[in-house]
Amino acid sequence: MDFWSNPYYQQIAMFIIINAILGISIYLTLSTGQLSLGNAGFMSIGAYTSALLTIKAGFPIYLSIPVGGLAACLMATVIGIPTTRLQGIYLAIATLGFGEVVRVIILNLKITNGALGLSGIPSIGVSIGKQISAMGFGNGAFGLTVQQLGNFSVIVILLMVLAFFVFFTMRLNNSRIGRAFAAIKADDHAAEVSGINTTAYKLLAFFLGAFVAGIAGGLAAHITFYIGPKDFAYHRAVEILLFAVLGGSNVVWGPLLGSVILTSLPEILRSAAVYREMIYGALLVVMMIFRPEGLLSEETIRLWKNKLSRNTPAKAVDVTRRTS
Amino acid sequence: MISTMKKWTVGVMVGMMALSVVGCGNDSKPAATGGAPANAASAKIGVISYLSGGGAAYGEAIRQGLELARDEINAQGKTKIELVFEDSKGEKNEAINATNKLIHKDNVVAIIGPTLSGEMFAVGPITNQAGVPIMGTSTTAEGVTDIGDFVFRNALPESLAIPHAVKKAKEKYGLKKVAIMYSNNNDWAVSGFKTFEKSLKDNGIETITIETFADKDTDFSAQLTKIATLKPDAIMVASLYQEAALILKKAREIGINVPVVGNNGFNSPQLIKSAGKAADGSIMASPWFPGKEDANVKKFVAAYKERFKKEPDQFAAQAYDALKIIASALEKSGSNSDRKKLRDSLATIKDFPGVTGKFAFDAQRNPAMDVTVLIVKDGQFIELK
Amino acid sequence: MFWQQVVNGVTLGSTYALIALGYTLIFGVLNIVNMAHGEIFMFGAFAGLVLATKFNLNIFLAMAGAMLAGAVLGYLMERLALRPLRRRASSHLAPLISTIGVAIFLESLALRLFGPQAQSFPPVFPGGLLDFGMFKISYVQIMILAISFGLMLVLRFGLAKTRLGKSIRTTAENIETAGLLGINTGKIIVFTVMLASGLGAVAGVLVGLAFNAVEPTMGVTMGFKGLAVLILGGLGNITGAMVGGLILGVAEVFTVAYGASSYRDAVAFGLIIFLLFLRPQGLFGSQEQQGGR
Repeated sequence: MDFWSNPYYQQIAMFIIINAILGISIYLTLSTGQLSLGNAGFMSIGAYTSALLTIKAGFPIYLSIPVGGLAACLMATVIGIPTTRLQGIYLAIATLGFGEVVRVIILNLKITNGALGLSGIPSIGVSIGKQISAMGFGNGAFGLTVQQLGNFSVIVILLMVLAFFVFFTMRLNNSRIGRAFAAIKADDHAAEVSGINTTAYKLLAFFLGAFVAGIAGGLAAHITFYIGPKDFAYHRAVEILLFAVLGGSNVVWGPLLGSVILTSLPEILRSAAVYREMIYGALLVVMMIFRPEGLLSEETIRLWKNKLSRNTPAKAVDVTRRTS
Repeated sequence: MISTMKKWTVGVMVGMMALSVVGCGNDSKPAATGGAPANAASAKIGVISYLSGGGAAYGEAIRQGLELARDEINAQGKTKIELVFEDSKGEKNEAINATNKLIHKDNVVAIIGPTLSGEMFAVGPITNQAGVPIMGTSTTAEGVTDIGDFVFRNALPESLAIPHAVKKAKEKYGLKKVAIMYSNNNDWAVSGFKTFEKSLKDNGIETITIETFADKDTDFSAQLTKIATLKPDAIMVASLYQEAALILKKAREIGINVPVVGNNGFNSPQLIKSAGKAADGSIMASPWFPGKEDANVKKFVAAYKERFKKEPDQFAAQAYDALKIIASALEKSGSNSDRKKLRDSLATIKDFPGVTGKFAFDAQRNPAMDVTVLIVKDGQFIELK
Repeated sequence: MFWQQVVNGVTLGSTYALIALGYTLIFGVLNIVNMAHGEIFMFGAFAGLVLATKFNLNIFLAMAGAMLAGAVLGYLMERLALRPLRRRASSHLAPLISTIGVAIFLESLALRLFGPQAQSFPPVFPGGLLDFGMFKISYVQIMILAISFGLMLVLRFGLAKTRLGKSIRTTAENIETAGLLGINTGKIIVFTVMLASGLGAVAGVLVGLAFNAVEPTMGVTMGFKGLAVLILGGLGNITGAMVGGLILGVAEVFTVAYGASSYRDAVAFGLIIFLLFLRPQGLFGSQEQQGGR
């Protein structure tokens, strides 16, 4: 299999991982039962902030991306604060609106170059490639060209970021905060009545989601040389939603599965490209009717866990144990 | 902790399996240089076009121009062209994936497209790095060919066409103060606007107001009412033909009768079809119009009309020329599969008789062409003398 | 220019109001936001277009036909995408996500069926423009205002005075109690969805006439604006939808006239984000309705 070295697959792998990170961003907000339709907007803030820092202010890439994430978090306060104390629908519409407002602002600010977008963004792959050449491997190593090695390193870096977020989310879910989230998701009023400060926790989940989306945006900007307002339109927000809805909105692995399927499927089914949007729409409806929790639910994970831990029958019986 | 590790193993395994599903295809070994298998009987050219979604009308016209050209070239027998079409849906990531697939899986010798300048900024660096020549037929934003030596375009940039239109309009109508309207969520229209601004300044014409709108907008009453009160001598509009037609109709409806000077977007039979009488008097500059007194043009228009049942627009015409230019360059280079040779051959194209006029690449791989200023009269494009 | 811009704003606003009415009706009865309403609006416009051009019906018949088409579409959506969810008593996000799916599906279906080119209605009142000195108004604009306001008044009257209207309001207030009172809530829900969709479809024809362009993506932006008006006027509030729509239309037009035309599309959502800080229940909504699950 040459897929580790063929730039076509390498690029797809990069997109899959970034989409997985985006999937986690919406999963975080969904874990309190809230729907955010503005993650594309947060992504764009992260992307533009980090790209501008790298291009105009000369920040190193590993610094500008986290700052992008923080910028997204900051903007999340604007809508988060008034809406988290209201019904979920307000957050959904407000985030939708927020995404639109961000899009219009980006189109009009001089610094973001409006519709022309930002081009010539330093790419992580190219920078690594340069360093590899500088180290004396100008003609590549292990039978791969410098470009392929660079791409490969990018994939590794992206995987590390993804792994970090997955690990973080799993720990969060097993903590007190995570249990509060679950309580709020199960029944908002009951949670409030039993003393949980629902507004604060919902806000936290929303911030986390925005931060992760912002980071994903920063990463995306630095692997494709160019970003423009069209990349972060409403359809992108729906796509991100679909990762979680399809893959599983109750477990952190759900959006990962969703992003793998939905990023690679269009490549496999290139011939059906014209029907893709219709299929997505129908998929959303069908999933909600027949399996609203998504492909991977807690039971599925428990099932697999039991199957894999054949050696420890004790665990299989422990039904009350929380999975993540 | 052990269960966490088990989760990790499962997760990584799932990930690997998923990726390998993607990886299992029978692809030819991607060559490090050169490209397609040597001595190919036909030249495989990839096309990335906006074939589905909001801008599909433009991508479709490009595809039709290309298909017509390909069939004519193949009928001639000197070069055989095989086109591989990929839909980018106007989205950057799609265009990137399409580009990678064409280069590394289909091993094309060159790529035509993509449709949008924004897409080109994302895929140009990729093709340039991979040593694959790419030709934009509709990417008119500034700086496209600066991406690299393998990036060409035969789409006449606004910066070359608009100044002619403005100058001519000033000569004919003695313009002193004008209003500008442009679509500000369309990179090509924004480029056009910037060129308008500069041309107006160079001609000593005052801009009394600048109004914007967005692609797919339908209500222009607010902007036009404002413009009407300011009484300009003309309105400069940078827009795609759909919005342009609506603007023209609304303007005439509320009584604005001054001339309208448009950018490239106006050069389309679709404008006249949608705007009807309101299109009369519109001015634009273009190297091409369907009514040109040129045997090549007449043949092309007739063939296109017969096959696709409608008049060709600039998107189709430029795409048609692009493929013919590449075919000619392939012949000259002597190889159907050598990317570098094709690039070098393209760079030397001169005096090519295209339907969009006599064509040559300048040092920056941009088109060096003559431009005609056109005006719409009685529903036809004619030259504004 | 001021009065002309007011006329422009009110005309635009009345179309926003019509769309918002559809949203607010469905929210009132089902407690969900129908994210596919914009696409039903768009299909209505196409239905009217096809009737007017292919079958050469006069414009009012075409509008009636479009209303019917919209109602049918609404019925299908309710039956296929929403009713199964009510039976399963799923999370409150499920219907929202489901209608997003319907919206995406309809939009791409329309692109395939009708193509991406914008199409126009045949001119209804050729060259008709009334000049009142301070402002000009076209016959088409007058017709739009008349029909929009007419429909809104009929709706208000119907909801307040007729038996059916009262049943709808009761179901909206509390679905269980309505059931206890003997109202066939299932039928009421279906009827309301069909009514709202029919209204959306007529709005589509009117907008298509007003702005001379019917194309598959017209439902997206309109849908967004309708959502903004929904929040502006108050979820489930009819008067709010009407007034909110007019306010938004005028605000947008005045932003262009006296401010920066490029920020026009941000006005709608800028307004509601601002409003959410001050008065989240909207201009006319009552305090924090925790409307049933």
